[in-house]
Parts: sequence; structure tokens; C-alpha cells
Amino acid sequence: MKLPRFEYHAPDTLDEVLSLLAEHGDEAKVLAGGQSLVPLLAMRLARPTQVIDVNRVASLSTIEERESQIVFGATARERTAERSPLVRTQLPLLAEALPFIGHAAIRTRGTIGGTVAHADASAEIPCVVTTLDGEIVVRSAGGERTIAAPDFFQGHFTTALADDECVVEVRLPASDPRAGFAFQEIARRHGDFALVGVAAMVSLGADGAIADSRITLMGVADVPLRARAAEAALEGASPTEETFAAAARTATADLRPATDVHGSAAYRTHLAEVVVRRTLTTAAARARSAQA
Amino acid sequence: MTDVIGARSVGARVLRSEDPRILTGKGVYIDDVVVPGMLHAAFLRSTVPHGRLLGLDVSEARELPGVVAVYTGADMESRSTAGTPGSTIGMNMMPGINIPSSYALATDKVRYVGDPIALVVAESRAVAEDALELIVEDIEMLDPVVTYADALDPSSPRIFEEFDSNIAMTGEMVMGDIDAVFAKADRVISATVSVHRHQPVPMEGRGSIAEWDPGEEELTIHTSTQSPHLVRLLMSPQLGIPMENIRVISGDVGGGFGLKMGLFREDIALAVAAVDLARPVKWIEDRGEHLATAGQAREEMAEMEAAVTADGVLLGLRMNVTLNSGAYPSDPFPGAMYVGSVSGSFQGPTRIEALAATSTAVFSNKSTYVAYRGPWATADFMRERLLDIIARELDLDPLDVRRRNYVHRDEPPLAMLSGQLFLGVTTQESIEQAARIAGWDEFRVRQEAARAEGRYLGLGMASYLEAAPGPKNPDAPEGGGGGIMGNEMSHVSVEPDGSITIITQQHPHGQGHQTTLAQVASDELGVPFESITVRYGDTQFTPFALVATGGSRAATMANGSVLHASRALREKIMAIAAELLEAAPQDLEIQGGTISVAGTPSITLSFAELARVVAEEPDRLPEGVDRDLEGTASYDGGMGGWSGGTHCCFVEVDIETGMVEIQRYVVVEDCGVPVNPAIVEGQVRGGVTQAIGAVLLEQSAYSEDGQFLAGTFMDYLMPTTTVVPNFEIHHLESVLLDPDVNFRGVGEGGMIVAPAAIVNAIEDALVTLGVRVREQHLPPARILELLGTVPTA
Amino acid sequence: MTERPIQLTVNGEAREAVTDVRTSLADFLRERLELTGTHLGCEHGVCGACTVLVDGEPVRSCLMLAVQATGAEVVTVEGLADGDTLHPLQQALMETHAFQCGFCTPGFVMSALALLRDDPAADEAAVRDELSGNLCRCTGYQTIVEGVLLAGRRAREEGAVL
Repeated sequence: MKLPRFEYHAPDTLDEVLSLLAEHGDEAKVLAGGQSLVPLLAMRLARPTQVIDVNRVASLSTIEERESQIVFGATARERTAERSPLVRTQLPLLAEALPFIGHAAIRTRGTIGGTVAHADASAEIPCVVTTLDGEIVVRSAGGERTIAAPDFFQGHFTTALADDECVVEVRLPASDPRAGFAFQEIARRHGDFALVGVAAMVSLGADGAIADSRITLMGVADVPLRARAAEAALEGASPTEETFAAAARTATADLRPATDVHGSAAYRTHLAEVVVRRTLTTAAARARSAQA
Repeated sequence: MTDVIGARSVGARVLRSEDPRILTGKGVYIDDVVVPGMLHAAFLRSTVPHGRLLGLDVSEARELPGVVAVYTGADMESRSTAGTPGSTIGMNMMPGINIPSSYALATDKVRYVGDPIALVVAESRAVAEDALELIVEDIEMLDPVVTYADALDPSSPRIFEEFDSNIAMTGEMVMGDIDAVFAKADRVISATVSVHRHQPVPMEGRGSIAEWDPGEEELTIHTSTQSPHLVRLLMSPQLGIPMENIRVISGDVGGGFGLKMGLFREDIALAVAAVDLARPVKWIEDRGEHLATAGQAREEMAEMEAAVTADGVLLGLRMNVTLNSGAYPSDPFPGAMYVGSVSGSFQGPTRIEALAATSTAVFSNKSTYVAYRGPWATADFMRERLLDIIARELDLDPLDVRRRNYVHRDEPPLAMLSGQLFLGVTTQESIEQAARIAGWDEFRVRQEAARAEGRYLGLGMASYLEAAPGPKNPDAPEGGGGGIMGNEMSHVSVEPDGSITIITQQHPHGQGHQTTLAQVASDELGVPFESITVRYGDTQFTPFALVATGGSRAATMANGSVLHASRALREKIMAIAAELLEAAPQDLEIQGGTISVAGTPSITLSFAELARVVAEEPDRLPEGVDRDLEGTASYDGGMGGWSGGTHCCFVEVDIETGMVEIQRYVVVEDCGVPVNPAIVEGQVRGGVTQAIGAVLLEQSAYSEDGQFLAGTFMDYLMPTTTVVPNFEIHHLESVLLDPDVNFRGVGEGGMIVAPAAIVNAIEDALVTLGVRVREQHLPPARILELLGTVPTA
Repeated sequence: MTERPIQLTVNGEAREAVTDVRTSLADFLRERLELTGTHLGCEHGVCGACTVLVDGEPVRSCLMLAVQATGAEVVTVEGLADGDTLHPLQQALMETHAFQCGFCTPGFVMSALALLRDDPAADEAAVRDELSGNLCRCTGYQTIVEGVLLAGRRAREEGAVL
């Protein structure tokens, strides 16, 4: 299981990265943390002739607060995010989701930008970015675009990135401290790819009814799936067990997940309903205690 | 380092002498071995399950810079003889067995996903893999034969065309008066129970280096094996190289579990290349190859009809067993032969009066069926599952059913249906102790209370009896007891510096024999544990062994052999020391490696001085005193004895997700006298953990069309730290049968009994919801299918 | 150009070597530097046997290219013991009879070392969580977890330097 031949580039500046991408286009693959790309190379399932390592571009590795957004440079490590006070205080949903990504020795290399660009539909970060209405900033030699999460994630391993573009930032709005967030997933073992994962937010009005909510499912479609119908149905509803059970049914009514060795489509659909209900329940409980 | 200076080493939790090496990265596993001038190999493997190999174009691969040679099936035909697995030791003569002959690389057909087609030898493994991508094969697809039904369907294509069906073996067995027990039964309870395909998966895969010396015409194989001599024995006929010209060297082995117990086709191809090129060739299997091709185990199914009394006594059983043996048989133990063990080993500690079985093993387009830690484990699963099924059907407590079915020590019947004696069987004691520790009756109260809250707890029990090595039958003509696969030979000697060397035929790969054999010799010889070195792993100096480390042999056979060899050496030492110290041998004692005259502690002789005299001044010793400082024993297992015990598993099942949590696990174990309890407990925990994997996680899955679906560690899931609990292990007082050697095997026990304990616990958790389990593999999706929450896929 | 010279520090020693750009850090350590204590159990980042420390962090050396380690400080299992004296973590693991065949051992040692340096007070749940990325097929993990907890206790109570 050895990697195939490729040309390797490790520029120090983003401009050099972009000019290499402009030159090589779809022959090139950007190497960030390598936790997804390197196994694909080892199994010879990915065959780029050029590998462009962005780890030496210092400007890409920062995590900072900018105008009520937390901005992650593309090569900010998942482990760094896990330890970041900004993440802990401003992005409770991300903080809860990060430990589900593989294991410590994966997160020390894995990057926020890399997992977003890889766009595995059962990965945690794309699900969180989708839930928080995050934006992905991508750049090519020709310029920069800021893409909203739903427009960015287009399919399993498929994004809005053009061949000559590179993710440079992932921006997440700082979370409302009065909202309740929850992230849950069911995997065969701790650290495995999720069978189903759900990120949720619930905020309650002064009357105790649900003022706003967000629900994203992962692992059950080819993109992180916002359950917008369920979100709409929750607006103004009372945060009861029945409400969340109904929302979970709505959220999973049209799911068509894949079948694999770990479970059938029917199993995943059922599991999604359970996890949506549980995650909403937890998020609502947190919203209540945040308000108290 | 012993716990207490001067105390006996046997029985103490002596720290392992292996550990400083393995903890510092100084172990030498097969991929760590570098031979000068070594080339690297990679195999082109079939991506289709079944097809006719019409053509193979390797020309472009040969042209790639760095590629030294490419071999195909045609090269194997011209440079080797087809192998007939098992034939070297007569397994192909078993009644009813069909063993095909095959070359190391596919010649006419490919028979499973992973079947080796070509061998590339290159300057590096990476270049060899590059070359694989340049080979073009022309394969005409044939219908895949995947399931039992496919194999038994006469219209399916034959996998091996030399046979007129896909039957690998058939057999029948009747023990006792089966009609009579069914005639007197109150009830007949039927169940069809299956075990899924899963596999050993040592953390180190397979690997070898073949090295040819054209001058001496000697082949050296460095390999990762459990049985070095077996490799040379099996290679010889296929290569046409005399066995005495084949040397096998094996260092540290990263786990085996029964898999590395013979010859692999890849090793023959590698040797052919090394001989042809007169250069060493290394092949290190990668994990993808390993999962698809190293070998898989345990795909069995039994239709059972049990004759039972109203109070749950199993009187007799009719069973119809089927085993899916995959394509190429394992050499020298063809998987098909294990089909007979499902009925043959079914009885265990029960008083069953009769058993009748038919057995059928089939070929399929799957990987080779290999031995895996307790290769008869399906028999234990069937029995212990059936006892719970009987309890459910009759609305009895599974503990009471076990009380009624297991033999009591020293009460008739004193022999199994097979004639093997029930001597010193402590199963009844083990179930009582396990039930007490587990709080069997109190649990029912907690279970009830939890159900009221919508939580589903379960408690399952299972027991076993393992012939490790089994008791000797004094009335049997040949002794009838002791070890399987022959006697065990050991040499123990005093080196010129007074240290002790043990040469064993074992080939430890995690079992800590460098520690345990030294513990035994330390006590027998009165020398410090640290002064003893245990050597193994090179067929140039180790005694021949068909099975080196495997079959739970080592505890009785190797320890017993070292014990007796040490005693033989001690007698020689005492005879020489008596002359040198001018004392009677019976007045001498040895402590801490120094010989002294009892009552006169000032008169002493060190082992080093003794060795010096023997080497340099032999004339000081009179005629008739042996002048070698070597003890040798060929040990037959003595009076032997049973290993056995009872496991209790506690689970909680989340009925919404199907996830099962193992909350507590209790083991009550009888393995005679443990040489090193820490090592015994390690074997038990490791075995149970593999069983937890089998039930909850691991499946060597194939699609309906024969594609292999578990080719990475993201698909083949093994237990991790967050899956397994801490284990509570209790050692039961044992009945000692031998005057000297009562160490009994413990390697397989955990793995053979635990699957039933776990599955029984899961069924127990869900029984009020109508769940009845008839299979071993229970991943979360399957739990929800059994609950009726989701439709069966 | 597919070969590159690289400079890095391994177990405290400055090393320079030429590597093929497609060579993993694991293969580089094993083949070029002859540090075969780092084992390859899967080469796709799941088993953890190849775990080493890169700039103090645990990393799967099968998923990192050797060229990426230029300028880094790498510590492998060979870098812990002081001559014949085992590192306190190795000593603790020996005392609990942590391992059997030893193939997974280097990865566990390095993962556990990173954990304990981060948090010597890690409790059993934290140790099990952190080590869940390392596969062992022999032991059932209990004795490994016990050894790591023992080493942590000694670091806290007896000042053992991890």
C-alpha cells in the first residue's frame, strides 16, 4: 500500500500555491492534513500527478475572531481548534463535534479547511459549518469568492471549488450564548465514521416557545443535509418530547441514505430519526439552562 | 525479576523478559529483517470472484525501470509442483474430503477476490506496486459461488473442475443410541443456528523473505509463523528442494491466532523467484491483502433437533452441519476438516447420551478458511446457545438448565460419547461460583426495574471444557491421552559461564514463553530466573514440531517438557557436584544457582565452576558420570487434564439504536496450575475480546456477487479500548491429575466460550420483546432487525 | 523532481537524508534511518501502530510524507529509554504486563506518552478515549490502560518525568 509517483510542491506563500493550481488544474491535489488524501493515495484511489502541500503557508494556519465571526485559516488543525478558547467560548457546537473526528493522532494533522474541501458527507466539520450558516472563502489566481455552506457542498466529495481554487478560510459566526446547541452521532466504535450524526440548535423565546432552530444530518445523504421543513415546523412550537419526535419524523421523511456493510438504508433512516429527536431534546435543554 | 527472592517462580506474576525488547522498539518482526541485496515483491490479485484466466500481458510491467522480474502461473507450472494442501501429513486421505491441487499463482482460473495472478519483483515495494498497474489480464467472468445454497446448487459452475461438485467434504457420525433418546424425550426442540465469517487479523500481517544460496543449494525462509518446521516440511515437495536444505528463521511474530500455522501459496511464489534470481526477495503483505486473502474462519451453520426432558435435560441431538470453506484449502489443515468438529466437539461438559450428525463442507469463491483460536469454537457456540434456547422454550432458568446438564465431578457418566474421560471436571463448580460472583438472582430484580424505565439489561452465561491437553485414559492401549500432534521436545543445558539455555520447539508470538519456560526451569534447577535464556525460531537448532505454538499446547506440553528436561539436567548436575564436593547427591541442594552441601553452607560450587570442570578437567570425574550438562525430554503430556470454566456477560442494549454495551464480564477459569497468572489472564482477556469483536463488530463480508466488502480497517472493525470492559477473572481450584505437571492450556478458552455468553446476554436483554437469536453476529443494524424496528436487509 | 534532501531531528539527533517525495514518514524512519521500532499495521491511518511524536504531537507516520517532516522534531519509541533503563511509561507498562506480541506496542507507547504529557491526571475514561485510536489484537486493553494510569500516578505522586 505505497503511494504512487507524483511531483511534490511545498510553497511558502499562497500566491505560489495559486499559481501552481492555475498551472496544473485537475492534475493537482492540495495536501493539507493528509488524513483523507494520503490513504486515498496509498490505496491508489486518487492519482494526482502534482501534490501541492499548503502546510508551509504560515498565513493559512490561524484561528482568529473577526467582526463576530471566528475565522479558521484553511490549515488550522482540528486539534488546535479543540484547544482554542475562541472555539470553546464562541462555538460550542464545534467544540462538541471536534472530539468525534477520528482520534487524537488524526486531529493533530487534520485541518478544518481540508475536511471542508474533502466534503465527505459523513464528516463532522461540514455538518457543523452547514448548521452555523458558515462561509467558505476560496481563492484562485483570478480572485476570491465567499461561498455559503449550502452552495459549497454539492455532493459526496464534490464541492463548488474549481480546479484552480483553494480553500483559504472557513468563517463561522460566533454563536448566540442564549441558544442551545447539541451534536450527537452514532458510530460503530468511537472515532469511526458516523452511521448518522446530527447537529442542532434551538433557541427559545421569552414565552418558552421555540423561536428558532437548525437541524443538520450527516451520513445519510451526499451532503450535510439541513432539515428545513422540520426547522420551519418547530418555529413557535412548544419544546416538548412530542414536538421533537414529530420534527424528527419530518426531518427524516424523505431520506434515501446508502446501504453499506455497517447498516442498511432503513437502519440509517431509523437511526437518523432517533438521533434528531435526541439532539433536539439536548439542545432545547441547553437553551433552557442558558436562559435561566 | 521474581516477586519474592527464594520463593518459587511458578505461580508468581513474574515480569516478562520479552518486554524490555518490545517496549523499546527492539523487537525484530519480519518487516524489520533486512538481507543484503534484497528485492521487494508485490502480487497482482484478482478483482473478480470467479473467472477463467484467458490471457495475461506482463510485458509493460517488465519494462518499468526498477522492475527485476515478473512471474505468472506459467512460471509456477514450469518451476514448481502443484501443491495439494494437507497431503504432506495425510489430511487429503480423510474420508470424504476433496482437496484440489493448485499452483502458487493462478494458471487457468481465478477463484476469489484476491487470488494471486502474478508476482512482480522490483527494487522497492512502491515500484512493484507501480508495475502491478501495468499488467493487463483477460478474464472471462463465471457465475460466483458465494453462499451455501450457491455451492450446493448443482447448476452452479464448479470452482475446481477436477471435482464433480462444489462439495469439499462430507461426513456422518453417530454416537450412542440416537433413536432411543428421541423415543424417551418429552420434547423435541429445533433450532438452526449460524456463525458468520470473521478472521484472526494479527496486527502484523503475513510476510517472508526467501533467500537462495546457489552454492549450497540451500533455501532460507525468514517468515512470520507459528510453526517454522512446518513451513519447511510443506515447502519441500512443491519446490523439489530436500527438506534438509530448507532453513526457516522466524523472529518476533506480531500475532498469529492460528492463521500463521502452515504454508501460504505466496511463500512458494516467493521462493520460486528467489531461486530463479539468486537474490533475496521480500514480501510484506499489506492490510488490504491481508483482509482479503490471508484467511478467514468460522462460516458454519447447524440445523439442530434436540431431544429434551421436560425439566431441560438435553438427552441427545441430531445435527446437520454445513461449512463454507472458501476456495483454496489451507495447507496443511484444510478448512473443510473442521466441519466434523462442530458435532465432534459439541458435547463439552454435558451428559448428552447420543448424537447423530451429518456434515457438509462446500467450496465457494471466498478466501481460504483457516484455523482461528479454537477452530472448533462453533461447537461450543452451538451447545451453549442451544442450552439457552431450551431454557426459553421450557420457561426455565438457563442457570438451572446448566446445573441439570453438566457432569458432576466423580459421578457417572465418567466418559464422553467419544470415550474421553470426564476426569477432574469442575464445570459445576464454575457455574456456581460464576453465578455467585455475577449475582445471578439479584440481577433479575435489577433487570426488571430497568425494563420499567425502558432500559434493557441482559445477563448471559456459557461454559466450556477444553482438552488442553485432555486427561490421559490409563486403560487406552496407547495411553490415549496427553498432547495432540505428538510429543514435545526440549533441551536444557548449562552454558560454560554457568548460565542456562533452554531450546524449545515452541514459537511464541505473544504468549510469553521466554518468561514462563524460564520460570519452570528456574524452580527445577534452583537458578535465578535472570540466568536463563529461552531460544527458539531457527530450524537449524530447534527440535522438529509439526505444530510449534498453537492448539493451547504450550502450557502442558512445553512447560512439562522443560520441567522434565530440567530434572534430567539437575540429576547430571548433582552427580557431578557430588563428586567434586565429595558428598552424596541426596545431601546436595541448589539455591540461587549455587550448589551446596546441606548443613554445611560453607562448601559450595557454582554452576560456572561446575561447567568449567566439565569442559577443562573432565578427568576429575570418575567413569560412569555423565559429562554433558544437558537435559532433554520428549514429553507426552503426562496425565493431562481439562481446562474449562464459565463466563458471565452483562449487556445493556439501546433498543432505539441497536448499540450494545458490555457492562461487566466475569470469568471463572480452571486451567490447572497457572505458571504465570498475569500471562494466563492476558490470554483470557485477549480471547474474550476477540469474541466481543466477533459478536458486535467483525464480519468478513462478501456481497451477493462475491465482492469482498471488508478490505480496510474502516470496514473490518475490531474492538478498541472503548468497546471492551475491564474483566473480572477468578481462578478456580483445580483437580490435579499429574504428579508433576498440571499446567493446562488457556489460549483458546476465552474465544470459544465467550461468543455464546455474549449472545445469550443480548437475547436475555431482549427476550421480553420477543427477540430470539439464532446467529452469532449482532451488529446494531441486526439488533433492530431482530426487534422488528427495521426490515431485514 | 521526486527526490528531496530533508533535515530533521529524530530522538534528539539531527539527521539528513534524501527521500523520495512519495515515501511516508514511517517508511523513511524504518528504511532510511533504520528505526524499525515504528510499525506499520495498516498504512491507512486506522491502527495507530505507526504513531510517533512530531513536534510533540502524536501523528500517524503512515499518513505523513517524510518530506513534510523537514525541520520537525520527531520522537519514536526508540527515543524514550535511557540506555538499559526503561522510560517510566515503559516501566509501568512492563509492570502491568501490558502487552503480548508487541507489534502494536510502539504506537500505544507514543500515543500514551502524548496523552500523559498533556494530562498526567487523565482518568480511566480519558485514557480509554485517547487510546481508542490504537488497535491491539492480543490483550483486551485492560493491562495497557492500567499501565498508562500507573505511569500517570507516578508522574503525579513520585515526580517521574514523562
